[in-house]
Amino acid sequence: MYVIEVENLTKSFGKNHVLNGVSLKLGKGESYVIIGGSGSGKSVLLKSIIGILTPTSGTVTINGNEMTSLPQKKRDKLMLKCGILFQGGALFDSLTVADNIGFGLVYGCGYSKKQAREVAREKLHDVNLNDDILDKYPSELSGGMKKRVALARAIATNPDIIFFDEPTTGLDPITSGMINELIVKCTKEMGISALSITHDINSLKHISDRVGLLFGGKIIWEGFNKDLWKTDNPYVRQFVTGSLTGPFTDGK
Amino acid sequence: MKIINFLIVIGKIFINFLKTTGNLAVFLFKSLILGLRPPYYWRQILLQTIQIGYYSLPVVGLTALFTGMAMTLQCYDGFSSFTSEGAIPSVVMIAMTRELGPVLASLMVAGRLGASMTAEIGTMRVTEQIDALSSLSVNPYKYLVFPRILTGTLLMPFLVFIDDVIGILGGYLVGVYHLGFNSANYIHNTFISMSMWDVMSGLIKGAVFGFVICLMGCYQGFSSKGGAEGVGRATTNSVVTSSIVILLLDGILTFVLF
Ligand SMILES: Nc1ncnc2c1ncn2[C@@H]1O[C@H](COP(=O)(O)OP(=O)(O)O)[C@@H](O)[C@H]1O
Ligand SMILES: [Mg+2]
Repeated sequence: MYVIEVENLTKSFGKNHVLNGVSLKLGKGESYVIIGGSGSGKSVLLKSIIGILTPTSGTVTINGNEMTSLPQKKRDKLMLKCGILFQGGALFDSLTVADNIGFGLVYGCGYSKKQAREVAREKLHDVNLNDDILDKYPSELSGGMKKRVALARAIATNPDIIFFDEPTTGLDPITSGMINELIVKCTKEMGISALSITHDINSLKHISDRVGLLFGGKIIWEGFNKDLWKTDNPYVRQFVTGSLTGPFTDGK
Repeated sequence: MKIINFLIVIGKIFINFLKTTGNLAVFLFKSLILGLRPPYYWRQILLQTIQIGYYSLPVVGLTALFTGMAMTLQCYDGFSSFTSEGAIPSVVMIAMTRELGPVLASLMVAGRLGASMTAEIGTMRVTEQIDALSSLSVNPYKYLVFPRILTGTLLMPFLVFIDDVIGILGGYLVGVYHLGFNSANYIHNTFISMSMWDVMSGLIKGAVFGFVICLMGCYQGFSSKGGAEGVGRATTNSVVTSSIVILLLDGILTFVLF
């Protein structure tokens, strides 16, 4: 039983064909990581899977529900079972930390503000933050704290699946390490399935069970974490070693 | 060859115009359809009421006061050569209520509110906050766009009314304390020729302009791309297009209403 099944997904913006038939499957409790160069369409893939972008063609099935044919109400319900950590955190500037974390609970699950605040307090502890920042605004927090608050918001509704879009980009190594720990905690302790995007090799090493390499709008290599370091696929080798010569840079 | 090139340019502009109009129509339709369905985000509506109504008052009031004053001075200059100074109060009143009130208030609001609306929504767009809204099962059209268009359309007439009052008051102050009109006379002359329709037509214009400002403000914000620079461009677009559309519609509405 897969929690996410993506079948032949394509997405174009006018003449810009970003995804050209992506298929992937995410098992329950599994951590799948998509790697690929900047601008290769990783974020577009993630947004097309969760329905923020409408795929040009192909199907996405989440928890057995085919997304495109799902009525809005059911889709909203399903969305609350999916947590998303956006690339830049995407915290709402105009709301406090408490309101940010409780947003989905208040607007989606009918919690009162007070109940949501208690959950927010709890989730802050889960991401190793002190609850004295509940009434602060995102602009008053450091980059690493913002990411963790965003993570707290993503897990506030107790989702079954979490999507991480470059969770460690732009953070110092220690904060990155902490975020990686938290992601592993989500998947291994809480049993949440995770679909992540990264180009941080260190993060990849820690958080992935399975890895897919996105190139030219397709997943051109897929394998387990341990295979990643042994494969002789030239794309993977160049990506992992960060070498300047190889298929990524040929002809550029 | 030259003519062909010229036609191509004209054609491109025309197609672009149709495209934008089409997109705008879809955007509006979506916002209204979704916005009119419950749940309603009352807190957002309240916040926008404060933004639009309260925070726009100072700029609108200030421009109205000075416009009324300047207008009276200018009229005096012209009218005194025909010894028809008595007509000044009613001319100022008609100009304020029918034209200057709605147009100036709207242009000021387009600059102040329309710009901040686009900048705010545009920033939310490029930092994925709008995507985050959808992912938390809140529709961004309902949550961000509808409350703004609704309050903008309903509150702009109030701002125009206040603009009218302050403008006429400015005229009165200059008339009585600078030009030496008799206070009672000035007031009498102001209201003697005033009709309900003068004021009403201005308020109708105000509602239409308020709608335009908020629709443009939200649309441009939603269509922002590519970081801070893109948001800046969208903000300029928003103010420029809504100002042009306001002036254009002012001409059309004046034809229709009178
Ligand atoms: N909303 C959009 N409209 C048009 N083009 C887009 C949009 N979002 C992304 N793209 C394009 O899709 C391509 C991939 O972007 P993205 O998925 O963000 O890359 P990354 O792999 O770095 O996350 C880019 O060329 C970008 O210009
Ligand atoms: Mg990305």
